[in-house]
Amino acid sequence: MENNNPLSPHIQIYSWNISSLISISHRIIGVINILVLTFVCLWISLLLLGETNYDYAKFFLQSIFGKFTIIGIIWSYSFQILSEVRHLFWDLGYGFELKTSKITGLIVIFGSIIFTILIYLFGRNIF
Amino acid sequence: MMNVTKKWIFLKVSSVILIPLMVWFIINLPLIYDKEYFDVVSFFSKQPSKFLISLLMIVAFFYSSLSISEIFEDYIHDEKIKNAANKALYTFAIVIPLITLTIIFNLTI
Repeated sequence: MENNNPLSPHIQIYSWNISSLISISHRIIGVINILVLTFVCLWISLLLLGETNYDYAKFFLQSIFGKFTIIGIIWSYSFQILSEVRHLFWDLGYGFELKTSKITGLIVIFGSIIFTILIYLFGRNIF
Repeated sequence: MMNVTKKWIFLKVSSVILIPLMVWFIINLPLIYDKEYFDVVSFFSKQPSKFLISLLMIVAFFYSSLSISEIFEDYIHDEKIKNAANKALYTFAIVIPLITLTIIFNLTI
């Protein structure tokens, strides 16, 4: 007899809400962040090759694409930090109520955007 | 203690260590990313940055290998492919930080 039980991935059978959006984003961003850290390793490795070789990295980082990349990295890490804190509260037994879960999900989304703006402006000495 | 319980505890402990390290990383990133070569070398070769970036590399790759292997568990059904993917992941999570740490500890101004 054929087994028709649904197997993962079965995301398509659920209706989207804040919790499912944050859950899948947390996983995707976690993978992106480790790729980012691998590029940070590459960036550090370029330092060992001397100033002339490092100029290629500096040229990219000083361009508009470089700035956009840095802002993207700050956002993805801010998102992961807030989402991770949310998970730790769940592990302690807090925040399971539907309303609280929706509120904390929104805090993760909007908080990560606010943190990104504040951290970037602070880093550029705009404050 | 079951292996899955140990894995969960390792995930949670590394997550608690990782949060302040990630905060430090994203605060410092916009301060140094477009600086001159000697400023960037100085940042990575002096304390406490040297210690903190090294710790970030070790904990982040450890945490990621555990959490990505959970994703493999959920989405890869073929045992052979899953085992191969996990082996590749663990090798990657050991080799990359090891090379980077060697470089960081060899950086001099």
